[in-house]
Amino acid sequence: MSRNFLVTRIVDLAIVLIGVSMLTFLMIRLVPGDAVAIMLGANAEVTVERMNELRARLGLDQPIPVQYAQWLGNALRGDFGNSLWTGKPVVQEIAVHLPPTLQLAGLSLLLGAGLAVPLGVAMARLRGGWRETALQIASVVGLTVPSFWLGIMMILALTSLAPELQLLGYVPFTEDPAGNIARFLLPAIALALPILANLARLVRSAMLDALAQDYVRTARAKGVSERSVLFKHALRNALIPFVTSVGIMTGYLLGGAIVVEQVFAIPGLGRLILGAISERNYPLLQTAILLVTSGFVLVNFAVDLLYAIIDPRVRLEADQ
Amino acid sequence: MRKNWISALALAGAIAFANGASAQTIELAVDGSPAGLDPHIVTAFNSVQVVSGTIYESLTMIDKDLRTVPGLAESWQISADNLTYTFRLRGGVAFHDGKPAEAADVVASLKRVMSSAIASPLASRLASVADATAPDARTVVVTLKEPTAPLLTALASIAIVPRGFEADKDGLQRAPMGTGPFKFKEWQPNGFIALEKNAGYWDKAKPRVDGVKFNIVPESATRQVGLTSGQYQILPNIDAATALQLRGRPNVRLVDTLELAYTLIGMNVSKPPFDNPKVREALNYALNRPEIVQAALFGAGVPGGSLSPALKDWAVDVASFPCFRHDPAKAQALLREAGITAPIAITLLVLPRQDIRDIAQVVQQQLNRAGFRVELRIPEIGQFVQDWRNSNFDAFASTNAGSTDPDDYYYRTFRTGGSTNVFKYSNPELDTLLDTGRRETAMPARKAAYDRAQAILACQGPAATLTYGQLYTATRNNVQGFDIIANRSLMSLSNVVLGR
Repeated sequence: MSRNFLVTRIVDLAIVLIGVSMLTFLMIRLVPGDAVAIMLGANAEVTVERMNELRARLGLDQPIPVQYAQWLGNALRGDFGNSLWTGKPVVQEIAVHLPPTLQLAGLSLLLGAGLAVPLGVAMARLRGGWRETALQIASVVGLTVPSFWLGIMMILALTSLAPELQLLGYVPFTEDPAGNIARFLLPAIALALPILANLARLVRSAMLDALAQDYVRTARAKGVSERSVLFKHALRNALIPFVTSVGIMTGYLLGGAIVVEQVFAIPGLGRLILGAISERNYPLLQTAILLVTSGFVLVNFAVDLLYAIIDPRVRLEADQ
Repeated sequence: MRKNWISALALAGAIAFANGASAQTIELAVDGSPAGLDPHIVTAFNSVQVVSGTIYESLTMIDKDLRTVPGLAESWQISADNLTYTFRLRGGVAFHDGKPAEAADVVASLKRVMSSAIASPLASRLASVADATAPDARTVVVTLKEPTAPLLTALASIAIVPRGFEADKDGLQRAPMGTGPFKFKEWQPNGFIALEKNAGYWDKAKPRVDGVKFNIVPESATRQVGLTSGQYQILPNIDAATALQLRGRPNVRLVDTLELAYTLIGMNVSKPPFDNPKVREALNYALNRPEIVQAALFGAGVPGGSLSPALKDWAVDVASFPCFRHDPAKAQALLREAGITAPIAITLLVLPRQDIRDIAQVVQQQLNRAGFRVELRIPEIGQFVQDWRNSNFDAFASTNAGSTDPDDYYYRTFRTGGSTNVFKYSNPELDTLLDTGRRETAMPARKAAYDRAQAILACQGPAATLTYGQLYTATRNNVQGFDIIANRSLMSLSNVVLGR
């Protein structure tokens, strides 16, 4: 893991972030209807002059390149501006919405990835039986059932079984740990299911691949126990594509989080971004997207590191 | 792993008992996050319903029978020339910070709305105000440039805030401060807005609960489940589709009233084909309004003209307008008179809201059977607003807000150059009537003007009004004292108490 490797990565990150911020800026402004039009809505009794006053007040009367340059200049100094709607600093708004999403994504990833390995291994071992067919069908269902539908069904089932449970909304962990965890269970399951199905299928095929390799045959011929063959020899190699996929999944997690947060009324980053898009809340959206992008890039960076740890060949290439 | 599950479920069980924190907080579930809480800046409904009549009060207010009654002003005198209104304020009223609410605060509030620094969308409601002064702590004098009959109604929508916010655009957005029965406690964006009892409220009998919490729950199914399971006690202002699904559920009660807002097909009269009054009339005959109510509103609504039937003093029965009778043959005859032989192609711009989408599809079929060829265009809301504002349409399907005074329905929407006259309609006779209705303060003279205005607008006007929907609120059985009000105000929350 040379210094070069790190420097290249950081430069990459900076380029990606600048590119993404420009793209976001352009895209949201190319969408017709600006913040002021939406703020006032259809049917507000307001004159064109008044709308222009509002635009000027929000700094939206400048040309787009000027607005972008101003935003970038301020952002580089650590000032990400204020929300157009509430006037609160954008950083503050995001700080409030980040914990629920991190918790939701973390729990879902833990559930999905954690269960995927034993499930995938089991699927690989049960080749050709009715149990394999059952697991295969279950995994296809898991992949195809939309999270929002699953979420609503779970809420319905739970409230008809136990109407006294009040599991909608969000309570910070610091205020009520039990309440917080209980409220996150259902949304985490709803979000984890497609991840679990996806990763389990991947582990299965990677395991089957690995089990068909020469070194496994050699190990078996040497009389190594089946358990050791499975977990020491095959699984270690099967984990390489698994780790890559987990990295890709983090991107999926945020997309899924938006839907799940809507259904379970969790005040997270997904809903913040969705709201910022529909409100054309430019500064808020810009900063939130930047944060998500950085997160995504950093996770992939971490995956690369892990890769090097799991697969010695990667390290060799990097060092040469 | 299994152990973890068991302990997690045990935790879930613990929630059931962790809920006894405050027994008398009313939990409501609403669909959207407010855009801010400054009553002079945000006019979006999601914000208004949270603050109006709960945190903030006005000089006058609209009661549940839609009458304009005293609010913070206990009485008022109007000069003989109708140009000077002298309001006497209630005694013993204080803002939530304990400071007395006085005439100077009222004056500051009116001036704040009128100032261009604040750029309030409500400014047009005070357009005729020349000045406001405070001769003493309990007297406010408002002088007008010209007599303005709807002034008292308009004042009901102008919240009174403490002086000192004249140049402050952000303070009230985050931390509202009024004289109402509830004071602001906490706002968790996208989570909830919590209000608590204002112990110093001037009406000692109110509020009857310790707090109100607006939970922001975007998904309709989740709101319904929350109500049926008892996590929420009130789902305010829901549509017919949601109400239908909740009807007959145990422990759920529905209350309803007729809406003030109406759905309409608006026509651009500045270009063909709708520049021709005959084509506008043909469109009216082609519509089958009862069918729209049945198919798109689940029967929960009534066909209506340009004023809500809820305004019993004003609305003319639409049966007196011939074009409210569905007659496709007559529609086609009118199109022929207008020189149109082939089916006439129009694009209908549709507000992206479920009920309006449904209505637009029904309208499309009806018009296609009567000589039109309608294509629907359903853009995203921002695009819709922009096209609507810029009159970039042949015709549009949308909804217009209502009020308790005809002037609010008409002046901005149908008068030449009105701020929401996106039809580009101009009719000198109608302008004169609307000016009369605004200037005359005697009821018979106003009534005559608005009766005639309704007749002018009914068949050849720029808007084919369609329906007034039934507005519902769903509550738990133990909610007592809640009144649904057609203008969607939740001010009756101060009167609510939770029974056993």
